[in-house]
Amino acid sequence: MPFAPHVRALAELALERARRDTDITYAEVRWVDERSERLRIRDGAPDGISEYSSKGFGVRVLAQGAWGFACTPLATEAAVVRAVTEAAAIARASARVSTARVVFPQAEPQRGRYATRVDVEPFAVPFEQKLADLSAAESELRRGGGPIRSAEAWMSWTEVEKLLLTSEGTDVEQRFVYGGAGMQAIAVGDDGSMQRRSFPGTPGTEPQQCGYEAVAAARLSDHAPRVRDEAIALLRAEPCPAGARDVILASSQMALQIHESCGHPTELDRALGSEISLAGGSFLQPEQLGKLRYGSPIVTLTADSTAALGLGTFGWDDEGTPAKKTSLIEEGVFVDYLSSRETAAALGRRSTGTVRASSWNRLPMIRMVNVSLEPRQGSLDDLIADTADGLLFDTNKSWSIDDLRLNFQFSCELVWEIKHGKRARLFRDARYTGVTPEFWSRCDAICGPEEARIWGLATCGKGDPIQPMQVAHGAPPARFRRIEVGHS
Amino acid sequence: MTERETEADLTARLRAALHEVGEAEADIYVRSARRGFARFSVGRLDQHMQIEEPGALVRVARGRSVAEVSTTDLSEQSLVLALESAARLAPRIPEDPHFPGFAGDQPPPAAHATRFAAATANCDAERRVALLTPLFGLVERAGLLATGALDTTTAIEAVATTHGLVRAHSGTSATFKIWALDSAGAGGAAGHGHDAAVDVERLDLEHETQHAIDDALRGRNPIALPAGAYDTVLEAPAVAELIEWLAIIGFGAREFQQGASPLSGRLGERISGAALSVVEDPLGEQGFAAPFDRDGVTRERVPLIERGVARGFLSDRAWAKRLASTSTGSATPASSFSEGGPASSALVVAPGDAADSAQLVCGVERGLLVRRLHYVNGMLEPRRAVMTGLTRDGTFLIENGKVTRAVGNLRFTDSLLEAFERVDGVTRGRRLVPNWWSESGVTFVPAIRVRGFRFSGKSQRGETP
Repeated sequence: MPFAPHVRALAELALERARRDTDITYAEVRWVDERSERLRIRDGAPDGISEYSSKGFGVRVLAQGAWGFACTPLATEAAVVRAVTEAAAIARASARVSTARVVFPQAEPQRGRYATRVDVEPFAVPFEQKLADLSAAESELRRGGGPIRSAEAWMSWTEVEKLLLTSEGTDVEQRFVYGGAGMQAIAVGDDGSMQRRSFPGTPGTEPQQCGYEAVAAARLSDHAPRVRDEAIALLRAEPCPAGARDVILASSQMALQIHESCGHPTELDRALGSEISLAGGSFLQPEQLGKLRYGSPIVTLTADSTAALGLGTFGWDDEGTPAKKTSLIEEGVFVDYLSSRETAAALGRRSTGTVRASSWNRLPMIRMVNVSLEPRQGSLDDLIADTADGLLFDTNKSWSIDDLRLNFQFSCELVWEIKHGKRARLFRDARYTGVTPEFWSRCDAICGPEEARIWGLATCGKGDPIQPMQVAHGAPPARFRRIEVGHS
Repeated sequence: MTERETEADLTARLRAALHEVGEAEADIYVRSARRGFARFSVGRLDQHMQIEEPGALVRVARGRSVAEVSTTDLSEQSLVLALESAARLAPRIPEDPHFPGFAGDQPPPAAHATRFAAATANCDAERRVALLTPLFGLVERAGLLATGALDTTTAIEAVATTHGLVRAHSGTSATFKIWALDSAGAGGAAGHGHDAAVDVERLDLEHETQHAIDDALRGRNPIALPAGAYDTVLEAPAVAELIEWLAIIGFGAREFQQGASPLSGRLGERISGAALSVVEDPLGEQGFAAPFDRDGVTRERVPLIERGVARGFLSDRAWAKRLASTSTGSATPASSFSEGGPASSALVVAPGDAADSAQLVCGVERGLLVRRLHYVNGMLEPRRAVMTGLTRDGTFLIENGKVTRAVGNLRFTDSLLEAFERVDGVTRGRRLVPNWWSESGVTFVPAIRVRGFRFSGKSQRGETP
């Protein structure tokens, strides 16, 4: 579906005005038109059913060797011209205080259109069906009452249309559709203790880039009795004894582990110091490229913006770099970054194509795409059967990692003790902790592609002001030897 | 808000849209902000932006079926279209038995601190550069790298309902944060300064920058300390992180009703030490909140914890109906990071009688001084408010009542409620710390001294063994 003629005309006008300004050496104009639906049933009643819409132009220019950014929600000639003027004025002001001019390498202009593959258009599915799908799951979670204090099921769908024009001649249109459904039960014991169970993973990790077919595939109602029973069982579970244990991360927890300990530290802007004002730096520094042993030789982690279902999949990033697959960690060795054209050039490299802005009113910056652990072989059941004494961590509950992405601590909702290849006791409030390269060097088994679900994270936070971004992780379960575990 | 909008113009538009659509039960909430944001790193203004953040949320109820629609186009025509969309959607949604109806006219607050400064509203790119340039020089002359941000925001909020409620408020905020760094992104010594005010010209930029420089220089050559319990002086920014998380897990009506809050079922009971008193004080001197919430209800002062005793929680109209209580004026709209609902806007922790954090340090034989915390998470055991996180931007060893040298960052894991049982010193002075995750929320907190604060691990970088 091509963009409305007036939108394209306004974007071209903005670009034409930027070209007239002799100080401007590069300009890009993005139009973003986003709409979404959010539906939630909580404790038998609707809670927060809404439609959201946001649209506008973002303009980034490089003038006198410095960047400037401005934006407008108004689709008028005056508004887009003003945005160009403001962006240029900001760049000139910034140039006076900058110690070095930005080096922004030229790139081949790109043309084309990308669209999410959608089997069932989610916005064409009647609201009534969506609510019925959620109600069926939510009522199942509450069935039997007892310790279940609260139950909820939710769904969200988003459609984004994006147009990117640059002064280099890039002209690309993209349509993204993503969403999914999840549920959660909260159980409260007689002693006031509380436990949660969520499905399919930690709330917010369920979205994928696809259509409504994902809801049927999630089978929330089928899983609801188990999820409810696990929440109740956790009230009676023992705390996890402290010590060093072999640990298996289930797929959903592996996604968070990848996100925090590989995704963020491989962002080149963090490594170069641009992200200190929110999230921190990185232990992965440029001089370690090709040298630092990040993990065991079976560990290969990739950034792949072409992966099916991934929220980090696109045709081109917001600088017009085409989608690609890049190894970040190759057989345990740190080999590349998530990068932009500017940051890659600083290292004499080419962009890995990972620049995106969360909306029309935010500056494009390096973001994760689909950062995934490459699968090997075997099922989760095989891996459990191969483990004499260990713990299986499933569904993240808390997450924390230091400002260089080294020392981390995660806890999970559901932790099973494994004895002699079988699930034994259930533990509550269990956590594991480690230091990134040491942890990944203890990885001795990774399951196969049939276990490697791609998990979405629709609100990865980065930037200042903060930008929620859609990223994803292909996450096969894996085993790590002698990891420090304990109870919160 | 591409031009500065007047409250009169905006409210007239909201009224006109409601009138044109003619629904019996509807409301409109608008927050529109214009932000000048100068983000710098390694001494360069590499992310300097002019940002527009317009947003209107409209709700229409048919009976007890409620639909919400949002738009970033604040024209009257667009508001009408949004109301019509909500009107079409509402009948297709099941009834919400807890729907309280939209708010009627509200009494204005008895008093509300001024939240608008022309200097902030008029601060342009040139002015931001002029304010920051001397600071870059200060940091550079110290042999360090400057990183941080200066944000100047002008926002207007308004609510109108079909029950005659019409309110609007214009405010400004200016926030500044700076790091002085030994290295750009690889760790090493770091110092941090921050300030926040309604008026950008009241920010103490030079003082905060010098503080960051001093800490960075003092933070070189850190030693490694093992995990364990240490008597710890937590400076105000560190305390603010913990209190923010306590608010997330504990002060909203939803968490209270779900049995997930540390306060659930314990109102009137002692849940922490006498040093912990927290009040939601949205109309006071500190903060940037409008005097009304997303429902249009006047924000209230709400004692939450008094001398360790659980006293109250925050509610909006819907949760008040569900819990047979009254709204505290704490409704927030949904965002990317929150499903909305009752939340704080200005948390104030009671002061103590210590002159300053230096006096707290004097009372420590061997322990730690912690400037800030990083990546705190309070979801481990919310009922006990067990939290974990790391120290950052200045962790120092205290020996015999004196700060002696830098320490590598440590991870703590402790129950905040239990930690406050062990607090034996609180400063008179408090700092205003904007919440990183909200548009206008703040925490106003003192520094505290905790006996035996529990550190569970350490960060692995560059410390001297």
